[in-house]
Order: sequence, then structure tokens, then C-alpha cells
Amino acid sequence: MSGNCTCGNPLVPSIARVVDIIDETPDVKTFYVTTDNGIPFPVMPGQLAMVSLLPVGEGMFSVSWQAEDHLEFAIRRVGVLTDALHEIEIGQKIGVRGPYGNGFPVKECEGKNMLFVGGGIGLAPLRSFIKYCFKNREKYGKIQILYGARSVADLCFKRELFEEWPAQPDTQVFTTIDRPEPGWDGKVAFVPTYLEELNPSPQNTIAVICGPPIMIKLVLKSMEKMGFNDEQVITTLEMRMKCGIGKCGRCNIGPEYICLDGPVFNLAQLKQLPPEW
Amino acid sequence: MKVLPKNNIEKVLDRLAEKGETYVPVTKGITSEFALWSPDTREYLDLGSLNTVLSPKPVVLPQTEKMYTFAVVGQEAEVTAVCEQPGSRAIFGIRACDSKALAALDLVFLTRGYEDGFYRARRQGLTVIARACTKPGLNCFCEAMGVSPLEPEASDVILYDLADGGFAWEAKTEKGEELTRDLGDLLTEGNFSKPEKTDFSGNARSEGIAQKLATMFEHPIWEELAAPCMNCGICTYLCPSCYCFDIQVKTRGSEGYRFRCWDSCMYPEYTQMAGGHNPRERKQDRFRNRFLHKLEFFCERYGTFLCTGCGRCIVFCPQGINILSIMNRLQEVGADVR
Repeated sequence: MSGNCTCGNPLVPSIARVVDIIDETPDVKTFYVTTDNGIPFPVMPGQLAMVSLLPVGEGMFSVSWQAEDHLEFAIRRVGVLTDALHEIEIGQKIGVRGPYGNGFPVKECEGKNMLFVGGGIGLAPLRSFIKYCFKNREKYGKIQILYGARSVADLCFKRELFEEWPAQPDTQVFTTIDRPEPGWDGKVAFVPTYLEELNPSPQNTIAVICGPPIMIKLVLKSMEKMGFNDEQVITTLEMRMKCGIGKCGRCNIGPEYICLDGPVFNLAQLKQLPPEW
Repeated sequence: MKVLPKNNIEKVLDRLAEKGETYVPVTKGITSEFALWSPDTREYLDLGSLNTVLSPKPVVLPQTEKMYTFAVVGQEAEVTAVCEQPGSRAIFGIRACDSKALAALDLVFLTRGYEDGFYRARRQGLTVIARACTKPGLNCFCEAMGVSPLEPEASDVILYDLADGGFAWEAKTEKGEELTRDLGDLLTEGNFSKPEKTDFSGNARSEGIAQKLATMFEHPIWEELAAPCMNCGICTYLCPSCYCFDIQVKTRGSEGYRFRCWDSCMYPEYTQMAGGHNPRERKQDRFRNRFLHKLEFFCERYGTFLCTGCGRCIVFCPQGINILSIMNRLQEVGADVR
């Protein structure tokens, strides 16, 4: 069976196959998704896709890496759909539709130093941009990555975080956990605190932030304190979504739909919107 | 001016129904709605009332609508879209508030980068035969919301009441002209001058409200205004322009289908995210979003209110929440406390 008729309707998914599953943390797995004809659709860093396990449900996820032959989704187990996704095995056919949203301004950031600040599963959307920067290394200046999680076990993408990314030219990776634990001699601090300690220079730098809403709110304040202006600070937001195409109503913040006008906003744009996220 | 004589109204409906589904206002017991013209509904045709209780939005946005079916065997899966093409259809007697709401739904579903295929399939073959209003109902306030009761928008034909129970018939679009030619044997010629304007503003103070609300997001008035609301959602279900939908799945064994159905911004689940965070957790957050969507956000995005002054939410709110009083109260209080 490989039947697939969407009648050109954007709400009808096409069928794709999970070709690999990576255990990232006790509650995060990365799913590699592709089709017999290659990637389901082209995706830019920061864009979203709707993933469905057909008999269970459909949910919006950020693409955590757009490889040439597959898409990666790092998915935390938090509800009915994600519980079921964590039970599937390699080879499972799923539904996908997209890409949705504006994505990160990768072109506008060329020639800049990049500062990525992530918390928890919030590193997933940042990773699509981080890996894009490394793939186009000559186009970006110094790269700094600050990432925090509750515990060592909860740090996502460990191999990249501790081996691949620090080995890249002109790149620094800072990692922190919330509480001390045996065997960890690294930093113990919340992300905003550690960020202010590191006090990165705003000089020719763009900061890209993603994490739980409370972390984003605190980090945005830290950025202002450290002298970043509103155009230099970018974040990507999350809301409940059903359609992905700005019709079903629920993902609005003020007059903007996160699925269509977002999920990526700079701080100047964010300040125009009600603080309802 | 063409005239549809009273005696030919049902003949015209019969003729329309031969070509495709034809929706007419019917009153049955305590409720009224737009229903298919058929031998069963003939006796319930109601051309004597203003608004129907239920809005005509299901004609283009059914309360539930199957989107696609799927079959799953082991790790395999296939999807088949529901490609319903209802073809030529008509709605007869829709009022200006509801046709303006149809124009708003067109903006949502057919513009801004994506066309909704399910909506388009129902909408594109639809001929809209609207009926001008000359005398407002108790809770009408369409003119305050930018609606012209004498010139319903999104109409292919506009009907004007004649004293003898017939209608003056004015084609407004090519589709309307074509229909006028097809019905040539049932329409007559007559003299008719459009009625004088009457007042449909309902004393609503809508001028400048979108701009004012842009400064009132954090105003304490919202808590007071939302206090009586029970989040029952009847305002959203009866509203001709509320369009929010949910997408849900029905699975039986290895097969199933995914469908969409009306949703309501009044319910906490509407924005409840997996993992627990809810950006509109409190009742007043949801209440505020509904009114801001109708009176500010939609204006900013699409240049028109998402309220067309039909008055249904005023009549049927079990708590007596009245969008006119709300608007007027919002106009009275001091603006920015942000």
C-alpha cells in the first residue's frame, strides 16, 4: 500500500516513512523521516511540519534538521500523540504535511556572529539553524551555543553538543544543568543566569533563543540588559496548532498566526504583540 | 427592473433545486435555519422572518466535515482525500449580515497564501441570492459594523421586498445575470425604487474601536466584562462569522478518518498544549481574545470587523452578555494602562 491522494488540499498529509529513531534522552527521540522519492518537501531552518500517526493524531513539530535525504524531528514525550510516536519502530509509515511558518532569517544573518541560547527541547528548532550555519560555515562569523537542561540525562543531541559542535572552527559551546549531580563537573545554573555571567558581546551578533516560555521571557530581558537591540534578538514560539495554514484560529498572538506569520519573531516584532504566549 | 412575483417564488426554488442543492430559510418549531429545499421542507419555508436562529455558515463550513480516510496495516499506511465537489448550489434569502459574514469567511479560507480546498469546493459553485433588509430587528446592528442592509455583500442577486409579497430582483454579478436569463420565464418586468435607508446601527459605538482596543489588552475592564461568561460557546456556534475549527480523528480497527469540526475559543482545550502550558488559561483571557478577534485583530489582518451585527449572540447568551454594551463600555473607559 502506498496510496496517496491529497487532491492538492493543504490539510491532507502525504505518506512518509520513519527510517531511523535515535534515543536522545529518557523522554526525547529523534525520528528520521523520508519517502521513496526523497525528502517529503524542502524545509528551511526554523520551519514546522505536521506529523501524524494516522490512527492516533496529528501534531505540529519543528524540523530539527533538514538533511538532503531526510527530515529530522526531535520529539519529547508529553501527551497522547507523542507517547504513541515513542512506541513506533523503524519502518513505520506516518503522515506529514508542510513546511509551515517563516523559519529563521538565515540570509539576513549572513556575516554575523551567531549566539544560540536554548533550553530543554528548545534546542530542537535551534539545531536546524546551528547545523545550517556549520554547513555554510564561511557565511557566518563566530558561533556561540549556550544550552541548558534539567539534568545531564535531559541534555539533547549529546554527541553533537560535546563532540561535533565544539570541534567546529571559531565555535564555543556552553552547557549547563539546573541542579548538581554526581559525575557532572560542568556548569550548574539556569540558562539566563549563565548567559549573563558569560555576558556575550552584542557586537555584530544575532541571538537566537528557544526554550520553555518562562526561559524565553527571562533571556529576552537578559539580552536587553547586555545591550542587544530588539532587531538583534530572535526567538521562535510555540502555540497549539491544528491547520498550520492560518485558518483554524487558535495559534494567534494578537492578529498574528504563529503557524503562518511565525513561529520566528525578532524582539521588535514581539513587542508589538500582546504578551499572550 | 426584474420582478419575482410571489406566485413564482416556489417555482424558482424548484428550478434552482433541479440544478443543485438549494438552501432556504425554514422555521420548524422554536428554531430556524437554512435547509435544503425539498418536498419535505416546502411547508416550513419562512420568508416572513429576519434572521434564522442558526446561521447559514454550514452551507460552506459544515459543523463536521470528513477530510480524508486512512487505512493502516502493520507499518504500512495509506491516505485518501475526500474530494467532494458539490457543484452548482444556491442559497436563497440570506440577509446582509450573513452574506457579509460569508465575505469574511472567503477572506479567511481563500486568501493569505493558502486556499482551503474543502471550503473552495463548497463555495465556488454557490450562487448567493440575498435579501435586502429595510426594517431592523430588535437586536440588529449591522450598519455599525460596516454592513449595508440594502446592498448585501458577496451576493449574485439581491432581492428587495415588494408590498405584494414578491421581490424586485437585481443581478449583481455575471453569475447573477446568467441565473436571471435562465429564470427568464419566471421573472417579470416592473418598476421599483430602492427603499430609503433606515437605521440599523443599534446605537453601537463602533467608530475607532479597533484602534482603541489596540491599547487595551491589559485593561482591568476585561475581568469585569468576562465575569458573567460561562464559556459555554453558544455565541461562537451561532455566530455567522466564527470559523475556528478543530481537527480530530475517528479510528475503528485498522481504518479511520480525520475530520474537522467547529471549535470554540471559549474552551480551555482550544489552546491547551501537550505538556500543560496554556497561553489563554483564564476565562477572561479567552473572553478577551474573542472580542479582540472580532473587533480588533480581524480588522488589522483583513480590514473588516469579524462581527456583522446579526445579533444572534445577544439573543441567545444565557448570561445576557451583549456585544453592544461591551463595545460601548470599552469606548467609555480610559484607554491605555499597558
